[in-house]
Amino acid sequence: MNSLRRIAVIGGVRIPFSRANTAYADETNLDMLSAAIEAVVDRFGLAGVKIDELAAGAVTSHSKDWNLAREALLSTKLSPLTPGTTLQMACGTSLQAALLLGDRIASGAIDCAIAAGTDTASDAPIVFSRRFAQRLVQLSRARSLSERLQVFKGFNPSELTPQSPRNAEPRTGLSMGEHCERMAKQWSIGRAEQDQWALDSHQRAHAAWENGFFDRLVVPYAGATRDNNIRADSSLEQLAKLKPVFDKSGKGTLTAANSTPLTDGAAAVLLASEEWARARNLPVQAYITAGRTAAVDFVHDEGLLMAPTVAVAELLQRTGLALQDFDIYEIHEAFAAQVLCTLKAWNDDDYCRNRLGLERALGEIDRAKINPHGSSVAVGHPFAATGARILATLAEELEQRGSGRGLVSICTAGGMGTVAILERP
Amino acid sequence: MNQDNTSPSQQPASYQHWRTDTDTDGVLWLTLDRAGEAVNSLGQAVLDELERIVTEVERKPPTGLVLMSGKPGSFIAGADVREFDQVPDAATARGYIMRVHALFDRIEALSCPTAVAFEGFCLGGGLELALCFNYRIARDVPATKIGFPEVQLGIYPGFGGSARTIHKLGGHRALPLILQARNLNARQARALGLVDQVIGRHEELRWAARRAVLAKKRSAGPDLQAQLANSAPARSALVPYIRKQTAAKAKPEHYPAPFALIDAFAAQGGNRRGLLNAEVDNVARLLTGDTSRNLRRVFGLMERLKAEGKGTDFKPARVHVVGAGVMGGDIAAWCALRGLEVTLQDRELALIEPALKRAQQLFRKRLRSPAKVAAASGRLRADVAGAGVARADVVIEAIFENLEAKQTLFRELEPKLRPHALLATNTSALQLRDLAAALARPERLIGLHFFNPVAQMPLVEVVYDPDLTDPAEAKRGAAVAAAIGKFPLPVKSRPGFLVNRVLAAYMVKALQLHKQGYSKEALDAAAERFGMPMGPVELADTVGLDVGLSVMRILAGDTQALEAELETYVTAGKKGKKTGEGLYRWQDGKPVKDANATQGADLDGLARQLIEPYLEECEAALAEGIVADADLLDAGMVFGTGFPPFRGGPLHYLRNRGPAAPPPPETAPIDRSADVSQEGEQP
Repeated sequence: MNSLRRIAVIGGVRIPFSRANTAYADETNLDMLSAAIEAVVDRFGLAGVKIDELAAGAVTSHSKDWNLAREALLSTKLSPLTPGTTLQMACGTSLQAALLLGDRIASGAIDCAIAAGTDTASDAPIVFSRRFAQRLVQLSRARSLSERLQVFKGFNPSELTPQSPRNAEPRTGLSMGEHCERMAKQWSIGRAEQDQWALDSHQRAHAAWENGFFDRLVVPYAGATRDNNIRADSSLEQLAKLKPVFDKSGKGTLTAANSTPLTDGAAAVLLASEEWARARNLPVQAYITAGRTAAVDFVHDEGLLMAPTVAVAELLQRTGLALQDFDIYEIHEAFAAQVLCTLKAWNDDDYCRNRLGLERALGEIDRAKINPHGSSVAVGHPFAATGARILATLAEELEQRGSGRGLVSICTAGGMGTVAILERP
Repeated sequence: MNQDNTSPSQQPASYQHWRTDTDTDGVLWLTLDRAGEAVNSLGQAVLDELERIVTEVERKPPTGLVLMSGKPGSFIAGADVREFDQVPDAATARGYIMRVHALFDRIEALSCPTAVAFEGFCLGGGLELALCFNYRIARDVPATKIGFPEVQLGIYPGFGGSARTIHKLGGHRALPLILQARNLNARQARALGLVDQVIGRHEELRWAARRAVLAKKRSAGPDLQAQLANSAPARSALVPYIRKQTAAKAKPEHYPAPFALIDAFAAQGGNRRGLLNAEVDNVARLLTGDTSRNLRRVFGLMERLKAEGKGTDFKPARVHVVGAGVMGGDIAAWCALRGLEVTLQDRELALIEPALKRAQQLFRKRLRSPAKVAAASGRLRADVAGAGVARADVVIEAIFENLEAKQTLFRELEPKLRPHALLATNTSALQLRDLAAALARPERLIGLHFFNPVAQMPLVEVVYDPDLTDPAEAKRGAAVAAAIGKFPLPVKSRPGFLVNRVLAAYMVKALQLHKQGYSKEALDAAAERFGMPMGPVELADTVGLDVGLSVMRILAGDTQALEAELETYVTAGKKGKKTGEGLYRWQDGKPVKDANATQGADLDGLARQLIEPYLEECEAALAEGIVADADLLDAGMVFGTGFPPFRGGPLHYLRNRGPAAPPPPETAPIDRSADVSQEGEQP
């Protein structure tokens, strides 16, 4: 076989992210994912072009969207000969998709690919209880009246209560926020530093909009022209007034402002081999040079959202890089507290030795280099879209700087983390 | 790419505008792709070929017949209006309509299952053709618009559309649809019964149509409600009601088409043959009459104005408006409503908030869906710091009318503008030359003169100074107006531009006549009788007497006496509608009029006196080159002042009214009695 090829990030586009039940209340995952893919098609002149593989997913999805990626691309100008794979890894979905597709580009199996993700909290699938669903299946098989009546034996009207997907870990029954509250307590992360982090995120995201950084990265959709969660005018005093939402005992520190809101949106990224990019005359923004996924044993009370600490440590060991060897860090803000816990853990000798198997702490990172254009607390977090959003944002930033190295880190539900390195030589 | 589905068995009949393909199921796919045009319309040549195809289908019926469009995203925009002008007389029109009727009847009578599947425009003749098929499938996308625009052209649907629609839907549903020329989306059309199936944007028309013809699906016949509504007793109650509703919007002597349709329904009910015969008589007569000719002319003028906004690749996305008063605030709200991202600046937030509140009302009224309102609200942001200037594609100045203040603002703005940004002023009082003196690049300044109320007035005057302004900037200004759904009218920067100048002459005349003793009510009734949407006295109150006064001063005409009189009103706080009293007293947004005050007035004579200075001023403006030509002037006056569309525009009217109606000599205020039963406004 040939040696591995470089994985080029050509660039990504997303639609503006909107708080749940606002601008995209009438949009579906299929609508938004099509729009994000179409935006990539428009930006890079891919109308009628066959992409070797497209992989995309959604976390909150309807069963009718079982072939989401393929259906979405059929609603775009891409060649209908483009195959689509629907996959899902919670909040890591589109970054994981990019890593898997990237490996196929590196191996020479394919030349171009689109990684994408979408999510909506405004179109949640609502289903009947398992018990009632089973009755309906039995009813469809019943042949006689008595069989049909038999199906409803022991029927309880409560079975009709619709079940909507819960934003909670199935094994612990705790919501993501409740888990993060526990992490914040474990790592002694105070309210004030979370609020400060959130405020910075909003101000940075606002500045990025005002200085035009997002102009190439975001296309208007369904009347929305900007992310509608960003608040440039809030202050620490205002944030301090908010009540904790997950721990209401008086000890809670996570509020609506320092957590990500439920968000609707979609994002997509174009990846390619250098040859393909050159042939189509598309400049390369950056290269994916490494990726890693890890998990923690949250069932036995490891911090649910601490897996990126592991994934990054393993990635650094394999690449021989130090935590400080990056110009930019794009750390997904599930909660301000989650980022702060992660940073504290990397700088903790005990944790790094005992949990990560290192000789000493990985050390500190300059705050100015982390999320220079804000992150999920400000722009919002449509779960499966966040990875593609971050990849596109980092690739754009690296191109504007001319050269550099960036680290991407995303924590996911189920105690997983997926991380990657982007470089522009 | 579409696969070629032509099977070897199909005869390679060749048509210029149609494609015919037969698939493995034996379904004949009939695709209209009118040669040489971006949009399908049913011209003579298209229908001639269709006749040949139908003959072929009758001879050898396929498993099913499906009609689709070869134009991406659109179906059929209607009959070919351009051909209407070539119809020499009513007899020719009758023959033409009867031929189309015969063809459409044959399509309806085909022995094989038939279906139409479309997205985009399905209007007028296109919808009439679709109604001859067994089953109609529409794709629910924003571009899909279904309806009958015919009455706007002074006719009513004449390719069997009135007959089939009334028969199927019942007069109570069909008549409002046709009379209001309402465009429906796919879901509304299905709810009404015009369309049988709606598919989503991720579904395929082709496969839905295949299912329909293989399952031999047929649109349901008239429901009980429709049959009842078309029955004689129901009609006797329904018809007077519809007639009254329609007369409130259009006078029969001005707009005969709606009333011809109502009469046909009154006589025929749901009797298709009778309604078809009425179509032949009525539509042939209307089509060749003056009203339809003039309305078609106005339609052409509208297209002309729209074309003014084309021909540049300028696509404004961000607008910055300085000045959050009535005009600035409403311009900002309108731009946001139409999809642009808008920042609205004033000295402090408290001055911007009322504008944001009005914008919310506009969004809720126009957009309805909470999601769309949320998106629109997100597009309009208060911007006290003026951060939006440096990002804007268009900056519109709408502060108070003061030369120094505006010049100071322009000096501040200019260095912050992006190189390509368009700089515009909404002034109605000042001249570009004076304003632009403050700029390093004076050639970049143009005027975008919006009218109040912004949401209702379709015209925007794009003001330029021929000795100063860069023509490319004026062109881009027109593109901005077009981008927000307004009609751009390029006008020279001269006092009053076009619209205010002509309106001022007209209102001055009205006030002079009022001083001579004519009642306000008689003057207004006379103008409305002529066809103006609003009488001049009511208009003066609506515009605001203070505004009117300032316009009169700008124009510096021989009107000192009137100005002094208006001044007394204004200083007394009687500025018109906005203060509750002006020349009229206003109640609930309506002027209180004395019904007896029009008794005995010669309204036609009065109307001639009123309109004379209006027409003279139009001629003077044309002679001075305020607008490029007579058509543009007519377009501006129809869309800027509501000059009666059925008269085809003021200069057109002037040249065609003939010698029979010279301006009458000044008559005494009280003259012969006249019938003034018809009052009301046009749409």
